[in-house]
Amino acid sequence: MFGTHYRLERRSIRFVLAIVFVASIGGLFEIAPLFTIDETVEVDPDMRVYTPLEIAGRNIYIREGCYACHTQMIRTLRDEVERYGHYSLAVESQYDHPMLWGSKRTGPDIARLGGKYSDDWHVAHLDNPRDVVPESVMPAYRWLLRNELRTDDLGGQLLALRRVGVPYSDEMIANAPADARAQANADDPGAEDVAARYGEATNIRAFDGDAGRLTEMDALVAYLQILGRLSDAAGKQAAAGEVAQ
Amino acid sequence: MIDLSHDLLVGISKSFGLFYLIALSIGATVYACWPSNGKKFDRAAKSVLKDEDGPWQ
Amino acid sequence: MALVICALVAITGLAMAVAGHQDPLAAQGYVVLLFALAVGLVVINGYFAPAPDEERLRHYYDDPIKVGIILSMIWAVFGMFIGDWVAWLLAYPELTFDAAWASFGRLRPVHTTGVIFGFGGNALIATSYHVMQRTCRARMPGQLSAWFVLLGYNLFCLVAVSGYFIGITQSKEYAEPEWYADIWLVIVWVTYLVLYMRTLARRQEPHIYVANWYFLAFILVVAMLHIVNNLAVPVSLGSAKSYSAFSGVQDAMTQWWYGHNAVAFFLTAGFLGMMYYYLPKRAGRPIFSYRLSIISFWGITFFYMWAGSHHLHYTALPYWVQTLGMGFSIMLLVPSWASAGNALLTLNGAWHKVRDDATLRFMMVAAVFYGLSTFEGSFLAIRPVNALSHYTDWTIGHVHAGALGWVALITFGSIYALVPILWKRERMYSPVLVEVHFWLALAGSLIYVFAMWNSGIIQGLMWRTYNDSGTLAYSFVDSVVAMHPYYIARAFGGLLFLLGAIVGCYNIWKTIRQPSDEAVVLAGDHPADAVAEPAE
Repeated sequence: MFGTHYRLERRSIRFVLAIVFVASIGGLFEIAPLFTIDETVEVDPDMRVYTPLEIAGRNIYIREGCYACHTQMIRTLRDEVERYGHYSLAVESQYDHPMLWGSKRTGPDIARLGGKYSDDWHVAHLDNPRDVVPESVMPAYRWLLRNELRTDDLGGQLLALRRVGVPYSDEMIANAPADARAQANADDPGAEDVAARYGEATNIRAFDGDAGRLTEMDALVAYLQILGRLSDAAGKQAAAGEVAQ
Repeated sequence: MIDLSHDLLVGISKSFGLFYLIALSIGATVYACWPSNGKKFDRAAKSVLKDEDGPWQ
Repeated sequence: MALVICALVAITGLAMAVAGHQDPLAAQGYVVLLFALAVGLVVINGYFAPAPDEERLRHYYDDPIKVGIILSMIWAVFGMFIGDWVAWLLAYPELTFDAAWASFGRLRPVHTTGVIFGFGGNALIATSYHVMQRTCRARMPGQLSAWFVLLGYNLFCLVAVSGYFIGITQSKEYAEPEWYADIWLVIVWVTYLVLYMRTLARRQEPHIYVANWYFLAFILVVAMLHIVNNLAVPVSLGSAKSYSAFSGVQDAMTQWWYGHNAVAFFLTAGFLGMMYYYLPKRAGRPIFSYRLSIISFWGITFFYMWAGSHHLHYTALPYWVQTLGMGFSIMLLVPSWASAGNALLTLNGAWHKVRDDATLRFMMVAAVFYGLSTFEGSFLAIRPVNALSHYTDWTIGHVHAGALGWVALITFGSIYALVPILWKRERMYSPVLVEVHFWLALAGSLIYVFAMWNSGIIQGLMWRTYNDSGTLAYSFVDSVVAMHPYYIARAFGGLLFLLGAIVGCYNIWKTIRQPSDEAVVLAGDHPADAVAEPAE
């Protein structure tokens, strides 16, 4: 009977298939149900998408490896909810390709950072964290203010995001570079279009304090200021009296 | 309908997964302990200690 | 043939450079182009060597193994240097240049990729070439594919690391390289699998020795994980950027299914393969229980796959998936300890050798660390424990207990066992330096791990401490300040470990350079090859 296994390894191909089979089952069982999960978790029809400027900022966040030290996932623990706000919901990262939940808090969680500090604070803090928080061990990102933001590829970025499931319209894709510039300058004639396309709640202002230049700092601060604010699902849940455990 | 498919998937994961686990554990253990395999295993275990000269022709 | 491949790679590099003229992709293209040209030059150099004779077929093909070992040590020093640098940055954040490439966030993946894929990966490829030929009693079927896998893999590492410096990353931990590097790795990896299978098919032994099982599982499952987790849509063929096919919860589960199993099948299965060959060999005793090694093989192959979700306790991941991950993580302890115990029991009757031989002691201590860190892993996967430990330095300590204590020590032990065999020397140039390396590595690992245990637990406790009035006692920055001494201790431990690796490099270098021992040399051992050895 157990010549079976012997034959199995005599023919190394079958052995290989056995390993693949044994190994793949676990992943399959865990991951497959998650693809139907959208229907069982919270839904938020009012969920907004990231603007082109915020996407650019998110890409800078990824580029600089911020996710290595900051999480964007508040766990359902009392101290975390008190420190950082309502625990994170699945729906809140449904447009995050990839997710940036993180795995390490060398710095604090920033899932609900948006609106907590002023733009000026963020600009000063990113330029040199120790100007604002003397004990900080965060790197100084001085080049963000120096570097002009690249906008020519933003249409392509949104298009690629649409291909993986984020509902960007043709109009959003076509106007992406212009929208990015307009969002960082309230006086820009296109600023109203940005609000029309992405919602009235969109932040439109010179994030780095200089409306004349569109820098990487504009994009990153725009992204940080929207964290936790694309969906109001958590707020509604809190209002409905749900209490964190 | 869609909820059902989610429940179904979860159900399969939870039930079949368990049987699969048990069957596999038993299978691997029985194979490893099957008496007639012993000689082969001993030979294999000792085989690494042998020559380094070159491939067998 | 080798030239054709170099030319193809060079053209791909050029195409990348052209297509990505406005994009960071262009720089990556030049890296590929230069690498292909360099390898091409070496190939041309060896082109006029005399045609290989039939004599070579009577020997194992060891040249790529030698190069793999050397590359592995180079990556080790590089990766550990960067690692220690970022460790000092956490204590003294200004200890760097005012340049984007030198900031913590970009250096950190350089460190992880450098040590895991550069050091670990090259060591795995080299030792697997050695083990598969020896245990099959068969020479590799060809020479080209072995070189293609080794050098192609190093090209992947090089592209990945140079990309991080200029800000190219997918942000998925341990899967940071972008889409084009990922595709390249798939090509290399499939070749690796085919090479391994073809060698197995030529074997003269009826039974496949268990070390090969582990190497096979490593190759197969890493391929699976890599392909699934890296599914992404590139912005365009001229852009380095891509967006993951998954988002949110699904992405998190896929990422940690990958991340955890990368630990399982890259950093565990492959290195267990190493252990099951080199430890018995060095101790001169067969493995304690071959049966146990089979049971633990299937146990590890099966259990690990389910355990990834313990990285996501208390998150937005469904509760039952978290519970599943926790359950399997605890069950994992059984096959893990079976392996560690098996290794240690093999040494029964050979303890005098462990005392005298630092090489064997490397392997012994590695098995102990393997046992300890797998126990710690199962412990940390328990949900309430995880509530305290997750997001803290405890995780970092756990990972390094495994990475330094288990992976690096078993690798150094295997390399010290392998180098004299490969270069036909009676022993290493200096056993004393092996001893020095051993103690540096052990001291470094212990200091590192203890520092991180302390800082992690303190951090976790500070975050959840309440004062009498029922409010949180510490601000976040209080916990940052409290970490300072431990970060210095950690960086110091890392420094010791790095020094050990440098000592090891020196020792290996001297071993290679010392005149070969006549008694050990086999006549005609160096067949002239069509593919010459790269100069690195």
